[in-house]
Amino acid sequence: MIYKSIVSVVFSLFITFGQSDKLQKKIDKVVKSTFEVESFSMQSKTFSLSIMSELPTKFSNDHFFEIINNDQLLGYAYVSKAPSKTDEFDYLILFDADLIIMTSKVLVYREDYGGEIGSKRWLKQFIGKSSSDQLVYGDNIMAISGATISVKSMTNAVNNVLKSIKMLQQKQEL
Amino acid sequence: MKKLILSISIIISGLVSAQTISQDTTVTKNQQRNAAQNILNGTSSKGITIGGYAQVDYNQPEGANGKMDVHRLVMLLGYKFSDKVQFVTEIEYEHVNEVYVEQAFLNYSLNDNVNIRGGLMLVPMGIVNEYHEPTTFNGVERPNVDKSIVPSTWREVGVGVTGRFNEASLGYQAYIFNGFTSVNDTKFLGGSNGLRNGRQKGAESTINTPNLSAKIDYYGLPGLRLGLSGYFGRTQAADDIQDIDGADVGVSMIGFDARYINRRFSARGQYIHALITDADDYNTLYDANLGSELKGWYAEVAYNLFPIGKEQKLDAFVRYEMYDTHAATLDANIARNQSYNRNEWTTGLSYHIAPGAVVKVDYQLLDNAVNANKTKGQLNFGFGVWF
Repeated sequence: MIYKSIVSVVFSLFITFGQSDKLQKKIDKVVKSTFEVESFSMQSKTFSLSIMSELPTKFSNDHFFEIINNDQLLGYAYVSKAPSKTDEFDYLILFDADLIIMTSKVLVYREDYGGEIGSKRWLKQFIGKSSSDQLVYGDNIMAISGATISVKSMTNAVNNVLKSIKMLQQKQEL
Repeated sequence: MKKLILSISIIISGLVSAQTISQDTTVTKNQQRNAAQNILNGTSSKGITIGGYAQVDYNQPEGANGKMDVHRLVMLLGYKFSDKVQFVTEIEYEHVNEVYVEQAFLNYSLNDNVNIRGGLMLVPMGIVNEYHEPTTFNGVERPNVDKSIVPSTWREVGVGVTGRFNEASLGYQAYIFNGFTSVNDTKFLGGSNGLRNGRQKGAESTINTPNLSAKIDYYGLPGLRLGLSGYFGRTQAADDIQDIDGADVGVSMIGFDARYINRRFSARGQYIHALITDADDYNTLYDANLGSELKGWYAEVAYNLFPIGKEQKLDAFVRYEMYDTHAATLDANIARNQSYNRNEWTTGLSYHIAPGAVVKVDYQLLDNAVNANKTKGQLNFGFGVWF
């Protein structure tokens, strides 16, 4: 019992402190190169529980951030996990200040099947997309042979983030 | 009566102590710390992975009795010890009553680009040997190039590295494997299935010469995926005969494969060419008929008859295959058997009723290069699942 509570305390500590160091380092690297800045801060952007519960994807703490440099809003970052064949992968989407996708990256991929979605060339397809776009696997998002499950999963994940942003924009939360 | 009470109490005390032991092992400090570390590393911390695939076939040749077969039933079991260390195994039932271990390897993820891996692994050659789950290929049966030229499911014990470079859209694999055995009990290399009889499958396999296997995959062009595979080495011979001429042969195999998807259209193809050295000595020693070259290729196109965006998919496909286990026989000092020079047309439907479940039907025209050989027809039905 004692151990269980220790674990849950440890667990909640990590939740509060945000992304793990390893993940945060990777995120920092992508933010720096995408926005061409040396320093910035990431501030968690949250919404009321009633709004968040309606969204098709998680927008709670540690998923959606404002990227700020010298008190100026550079853009936004969305970080989450999506399922692969037998595991989950971590991904990052960076938006400009107008919420148009600037880049996306698979931060950690944990199995053999479908690792091809990390390809920079494939992820390019999401650049320029915004909440007015709908992504359709096999239509405006190309398939990759041997990676169907993960390609669908990533497409679905980005789609849900864009849909959520659209809903937040309609509610004038963004 | 006393004896009965005694034995019951022994059983009960046994159960109680067993329970205590199991509690002790699950609630150790060590394990708890590992769980926390997993969270720290940002893993999903899933310990056990269970999955599998299965393929049930009905083959109906023209003018002969049919065959119904639970061809393959494979259970995948994986365990993730940490974000870096993972064990993967596939236990296979073939034709209901043959049991094999198809894969069993330990993977250590060094960083984002490099994994070190050892154990029983698939030899990367062509498409189907690695991507052999029935939902990933058209046709009830695997292409025959992937049976007679690439002896899928081709797996041996070995060690190597694998990984990918996202910037370049490049995947790589390189392994040192145990090779084919020259003689497998009473079976020899050669004939209609080339090297297939020599697979050792990691079962008390003999090794005296390591073999090298490598593959590069490039997926940087939209919809296109290209693969280049190579396999080089010699077959394995037992101690008492390994110094005799013809006790082993040299095997050099190269493969090129391509897969393409654009909206509802998809296509794939592969070319495999194997050179066998010292086949003449081998054939003399064992009175075998192993060719000095094995060659095969296929090309396939498919079109999804359902609109894009539907979860279900109905692929109509046609495939042409040519494969010859006697592609060259002069250096092997044997007569060329033209019945091993085969060609096939396969056309049919793959109805993906859900992602991971497919019902298949196809018709095959099987022919060979023997003069006036009569083309044989075969109808195939089946289903496949992968989860």
